[in-house]
Amino acid sequence: MGVLIPVGTRKGLFLLRSGDRERWELDGPLLPGWSVYHAIVDPRDGVLYACTNSFFYGATVHRSNDLGETWERAEELGLPEESGLALAATWHLEPGRAREPDTLWLGGDPAVLFRSDDGSATWEVNRGLLEHPTRERWQPGAGGLCCHSIQLVDGRMYAAISAAGSFRSEDDGATWTPINAGVAADFLPEKYPEVGQCVHKLLSHPAREGRLWQQNHCGVYRSDDHGDTWERLDGNGLPSDFGFGLALDPADPDVAYVIPEQSAEHRYTADGRLGVYRTGDAGASWELAADGLPERAWVAVLREGFAFDEDGLYFGTQSGSVWASRRDDGAWTEAARDLPPVLSVEVAEWP
Amino acid sequence: MAVVVVPTVLAAEAGGQKRFELEAETLGEALRALPIADLLFDERGELRRLLNVYVDGTDARGSGGLDGPLRPRAEVRVVGAIAGG
Repeated sequence: MGVLIPVGTRKGLFLLRSGDRERWELDGPLLPGWSVYHAIVDPRDGVLYACTNSFFYGATVHRSNDLGETWERAEELGLPEESGLALAATWHLEPGRAREPDTLWLGGDPAVLFRSDDGSATWEVNRGLLEHPTRERWQPGAGGLCCHSIQLVDGRMYAAISAAGSFRSEDDGATWTPINAGVAADFLPEKYPEVGQCVHKLLSHPAREGRLWQQNHCGVYRSDDHGDTWERLDGNGLPSDFGFGLALDPADPDVAYVIPEQSAEHRYTADGRLGVYRTGDAGASWELAADGLPERAWVAVLREGFAFDEDGLYFGTQSGSVWASRRDDGAWTEAARDLPPVLSVEVAEWP
Repeated sequence: MAVVVVPTVLAAEAGGQKRFELEAETLGEALRALPIADLLFDERGELRRLLNVYVDGTDARGSGGLDGPLRPRAEVRVVGAIAGG
């Protein structure tokens, strides 16, 4: 089975395909004129979706049933007038559960979550987050007040927002509980508030009940109790607590990968090298996993720019490269270069 | 019958059509009749901030706005403001 990597960039969408994860073919740009913050191929039906944003034409979602040959645009996507808010950007698409084949979730700015039950034609805003009692304490990060992580695990949902923190719902999104205990917010007067944390990426492990990972503005964390408590992990051998992307291993819940940046003030790779760091012991220790990556580099990988599947890892840089590695040997190869700044990388099967 | 001309990105969204001939009493009516109207207006119905609209070469914001009457055979051009990166 081959692999297909939809690469969202500041200037359109590119598709990378490979049969062996060594030789890559590049198609694109698709959706020229649009900044693609995130693009996915829905594993349930092979439909390609993109979060598309424009200086001029606003924020929307595009859908293609033929891998980019033809496109449809969302017909109804916006915020209700009484909210006093306007949709500023679309950030993240998450396919619904297998039992809801037409359902999709969409995260956006200003800290909003939408649900579609018709394959992205129309979207209904999630009232539980829109009207959350703590909303007035949320502040935008550099990327806006963006809802960028959506995880569906059995009966639970998780949403993460910069900078509001992480939230859990056990009633399919009707109500949301902040889950930020023990997560630092060094940029606020109160270091451990209920909400206001700048989570950069939140992932749940598909095979370990209750296990969550997050890369935060202030540290790397793991939870083993659905987010009720968090353990900070970046003192265990990482060169920095700051970064954006996060990747896991579907077969091993103790494995995680991060790409540390120097600091919040200096947002390029830590120690002047492009370094992916791996833990195999649930964050107790980290080691460099950078065979083949440039040893002198000052690049940045954004929050949606790091993806994984059973067979490998994939990330894209703001300087327009896409790197891929196979889990069997860990060596990195440059799958594409000289693209526009990469905003997102995902991975799907190439039929 | 007025003519509305849109930029390339909007033409792509409209199946490749760049020129639209339509009957409209006002500029706003003409723009809202386009198949890409949702990309011109936000959810409040306001023309997006970085879009300029010219009617027969004159910026519509300074001359009647969206409620201004459209003369027959007027040429309307939608142009993105100079911005980007």
